[in-house]
Amino acid sequence: MTAHVSNLGDVTLAVVPPVARFNLRIAPGDLKAASKAFGLDLPAKVGQGAHEGDRSAWCLGPDEWLLHAPEAEQGTIVDAFAAIREKVAHSLVVISDREVAYGLSGPRATELLTTGCPIDLGRIKVGNAKRTVFDYAQVVLIRDAEDEWRLEVWRSFAPHVEALLTTAQRELASGL
Amino acid sequence: MTQYRVTGRGRVDQGTPVKFSFDGKTITGCKGDTLASALLANGQHLMGRSFKYHRPRGVVTAGSEEPNALVGVTRGKGRFEPNTRATMQEVYPGLKVESQNKWPTLAFDLGAINDRLYMLFSAGFYYKTFMWPRSFWDSVYEPFIRKAAGLGKAPTEVDPDTYASRYLHCDVLVVGSGPSGLAAAMTAGRAGADVVIVDENSEMGGTLLSEPQAQIDGIPAWEWLAGAVSELDALPNVRRMTRTTAIGYYHQNMIGMVERITDHLATLPEDAPRERMWRVRAREVVLAQGAIERPLVFDGNDVPGVMMSGAAQTFLNRFGVLVGKTPAVLTSHDSAWHTAFDMAEAGAKVAAIVDTREIVDIGLQDRAKELGIPVKLGHTATATKGRLRIKGVRVNPVRAGSAGSGHWVFCDALLTCGGWTPTLHLFSHTKGALDWDADARVYLPGRKSEAVQIAGAGRGLWGIGAALDDGAKAGTDALKTLGKSASVPSYEVQKDRIGTGVFHKELPTDRSPGKAKAFVDFQNDVTAKDLRLAVREGMKSIEHVKRYTTNGMATDQGKLSNMNGLTIAADALGKEPPQVGLTTFRPPYTPTTFGAFCGYHKGAQFEVTRRTPIDSWAEENGAVYEPVALWRRAWYFPKAGEGMHKAVARECKSTRESLGIFDASTLGKIEVSGPDATEFMNRMYTNPWTKLGVGRARYGLLLGEDGFIRDDGVIGRMRDDLFHVTTTTGGAARVLNMMEDYLQTEWPDLKVWLTSTTEEWATIALNGPNARKLLAPFVEGCDMSNEAFPHMSVRECTVAGFPSRLFRISFTGELGFEINVPARHGRALWEKLWEAGKQYDICPYGTETMHVLRAEKGFIIVGQDTDGTVTPQDAGIGWAIGKMKPDFVGKRSLDRPDIVAPNRKQLVGLLTEDPKAVLVEGAQIVDDPNQPKPMKMIGHVTSSYWSETLGRSVAMAVIEGGHDKMDQTIFVPQADGAPIKAKIGTTMFYDPKGERLLVE
Repeated sequence: MTAHVSNLGDVTLAVVPPVARFNLRIAPGDLKAASKAFGLDLPAKVGQGAHEGDRSAWCLGPDEWLLHAPEAEQGTIVDAFAAIREKVAHSLVVISDREVAYGLSGPRATELLTTGCPIDLGRIKVGNAKRTVFDYAQVVLIRDAEDEWRLEVWRSFAPHVEALLTTAQRELASGL
Repeated sequence: MTQYRVTGRGRVDQGTPVKFSFDGKTITGCKGDTLASALLANGQHLMGRSFKYHRPRGVVTAGSEEPNALVGVTRGKGRFEPNTRATMQEVYPGLKVESQNKWPTLAFDLGAINDRLYMLFSAGFYYKTFMWPRSFWDSVYEPFIRKAAGLGKAPTEVDPDTYASRYLHCDVLVVGSGPSGLAAAMTAGRAGADVVIVDENSEMGGTLLSEPQAQIDGIPAWEWLAGAVSELDALPNVRRMTRTTAIGYYHQNMIGMVERITDHLATLPEDAPRERMWRVRAREVVLAQGAIERPLVFDGNDVPGVMMSGAAQTFLNRFGVLVGKTPAVLTSHDSAWHTAFDMAEAGAKVAAIVDTREIVDIGLQDRAKELGIPVKLGHTATATKGRLRIKGVRVNPVRAGSAGSGHWVFCDALLTCGGWTPTLHLFSHTKGALDWDADARVYLPGRKSEAVQIAGAGRGLWGIGAALDDGAKAGTDALKTLGKSASVPSYEVQKDRIGTGVFHKELPTDRSPGKAKAFVDFQNDVTAKDLRLAVREGMKSIEHVKRYTTNGMATDQGKLSNMNGLTIAADALGKEPPQVGLTTFRPPYTPTTFGAFCGYHKGAQFEVTRRTPIDSWAEENGAVYEPVALWRRAWYFPKAGEGMHKAVARECKSTRESLGIFDASTLGKIEVSGPDATEFMNRMYTNPWTKLGVGRARYGLLLGEDGFIRDDGVIGRMRDDLFHVTTTTGGAARVLNMMEDYLQTEWPDLKVWLTSTTEEWATIALNGPNARKLLAPFVEGCDMSNEAFPHMSVRECTVAGFPSRLFRISFTGELGFEINVPARHGRALWEKLWEAGKQYDICPYGTETMHVLRAEKGFIIVGQDTDGTVTPQDAGIGWAIGKMKPDFVGKRSLDRPDIVAPNRKQLVGLLTEDPKAVLVEGAQIVDDPNQPKPMKMIGHVTSSYWSETLGRSVAMAVIEGGHDKMDQTIFVPQADGAPIKAKIGTTMFYDPKGERLLVE
């Protein structure tokens, strides 16, 4: 995946550099242990995000979290969770390569997403995330700022989503 | 100035002429005109021909309900559109329009011969006229009907335009921007709600655009309107959308709306979409769609120049066009009187106001007298004169229901009004109840099923003042459910045209009603007589009457014809309308382009095409692709001059003899993780998993509850509590869903979690006697020897420095490995192996070769050799069932009587007597080809290939009791030629002992 950038229609669209990405599944009652292993208090409410230093976590479902960390720390994090596996049942799966992430920023970034995203984006608070769809693809939308989003999508769906996003960018640029 | 344009009237820019062409003739309109208003300004009423009789037709309305004035519009290659409504198309310089359904010309059309033969084309003529002789159907009738059917010409070129889509959320969506819609939007907007207000016209205002005389709170209507619009525009929480039609009302307040973006522009801005489909989720909806004027039904009511009085008022007041200079009015409602007055004031000489009622408001009568307009009360119309344009109407006094002798009123336009029908199409989409108001004789909104308010003329109210107040109330009611409050503003309206009227069935006549061409559905040429005939022939429900006569089936979806049709049918049946029923309105509200529905899904984005990380290499190396589920997979890699057969033969040979490389990344992968992972696997799959050691792999078989094969794949045990499950390419999502379903609903107590890793890994399969030789030098952290790393094992190690899950497995029967590396490294690893593999003549192969190689080994493909009715025993893989396990999905079904019955279809191998004969997959199998037809079919071919390795064809088939028929002969009948003879045998065609897996 080339790290291309396009700047059109008041939106900058770019492929975000890779991160260490994990899917964590754990009983909500055991969240403390997981928070300790990851070094960050994991959010308890679906949609909520938590951030500390360069680590982030978002709660995507009743027992599901998306974790981000710098690439170099992937092994350390796997080890930290492996150390508690005996005592605290959970599943930590590396999905760093499963998804490709796009960054969308600019005054019309949110509007751009409404071309394919049926949920009410206005209800996602800055720092939070939602698993939803963009057109036919399942995506996770992370809101980094009022006008800044990340869209994570399974790798093989990325060309489809990217083509739609750039079409929509040109549409915004047309002014109509 | 064109002949019928009135200086100083209307909202069009009379100072900016717009030239366009109509049937090759240059016409001049004004900026702001619709095609209809521009043509009328030039005295052109004839705009089209009807569907069945090809009768000349003029425009009858000024809005989206127009049934007659349908034209073809073109703006260059691929941009031709048939059936554009002249009343909606805005003119721009260079617009090209052609009339349709005519040959050779609009004014002289040979198809109108149908009109002379109208007695042949009565209701249900399809079912009668063309019945006999039977032999005429294929050669005469059907070609005739096909040629005659349809409106306009379907476009033949690819549409170059783009169509956009948007989702939108709001508190209150207001549909319609007449007085009630504006009042609702302003009330909700002022209170801070997120409001969207839409209107299908190019500007907002609705009725206000046609009634400039009214004064709202002392301000002239248009000035008030401008103020309202700028107030709405100033509110940041209000979005105002014109040229946007709400086409459908779906569940939970989802409204579909189509915005026309470029159809009114002279030049198309780059990348601008032609239309945009909005999918709006509104917490509250206010429907302020107004009412549609109902035509009167009498002989000759379809001649060009006969039109709705409200349309004439709109053409005059909004567009500054007199539709005639000596118009007559025929009405059963007060509103048409005002049209007559407006036209008289604008300089027309109104020939007469003919009202069916005997008693009419005295104020109206006085005003007519002041303007010198002759008035005839208690009259009917019984005929019209003129063919391409009306010349006169025959009117008769009515006494006690019967028409007296008639006389002619000469006119150049006849403005009719049969009352007003509340527009409830969108409300009807919600399945809300429509209640019959027996006094007003209209359907009104009843019980609601969505969060919706209906305001204004849409619920039978009349007059601008009433509409404003009702709209404001609807806005307040919507706010209330949103938890917001506002005081209801009230409006003081002067010069309001409060009116009343009555509805009729077809008007009484002194002539033979059987000869009257009194049209109810203009576009589909349905007359009152047709409807009565349908009832006489036994149609009792309006649904049957509609289908028998085609009344209401035109592109206006019965907006003008439904209520008249119902009234006449009910009268013929001697019942009240609600007892006869009301046909259902369905989305879209008005004709909608396919493009708007397709949106961005065209060309490469028509559907998702999933690509693997190695896809780009395959493309660069000339792969031919095949679609598998949503993926595109390399099918085969032809070299110059090779077809599929040759390429596959070469790929098979290279792999068996030395080394093949295959992209297996599309295989589904699921991480099954948690302390109860083994228990979960034991319950899901037929196989036993408890004793499978860490680092070992096993073929897993998944059944449905019915005991039939659903999916399969190799499963590796990575840890005590972690399995790497693989599924078929097409089954990946289905299997994960099925597992989640069981986990969440049946076994929520199990501590195990499922995560899809299909896309985390790129998977490269190496097969062939040289596979290990190529791979071993790249591997670190795994002893590659036969002893340390036996067949059906898995290791975590590195390959070419990439972290890897390395399987030793084989779907070809050769020594085989599957290397999983993080997806981003997939192509890099492939290229390294490719380079190094050249010493072994490494050959990339595609899915076709994979299929052949596995068939030579008798490995099944779920979905090809199984069809959802095949059990493990049927497929000959009963060994995959853990006999000692207490339970697994499908276990109990395997004991059902019909599952254990003898003579089930079982999977066997087939070898044709002629080794060169390759059977057709799907071909039926019989015991005895000489038995009488229909023959008893005992099974069918599931897989069949040419095997280059064996120098002959091989096939698999399911055959009744096949496992007990080894060495028996069967036949495969052919469409042409002798049946092919074949012998039943094992499916293991190649290396039955599996020695090739163990090559050092």
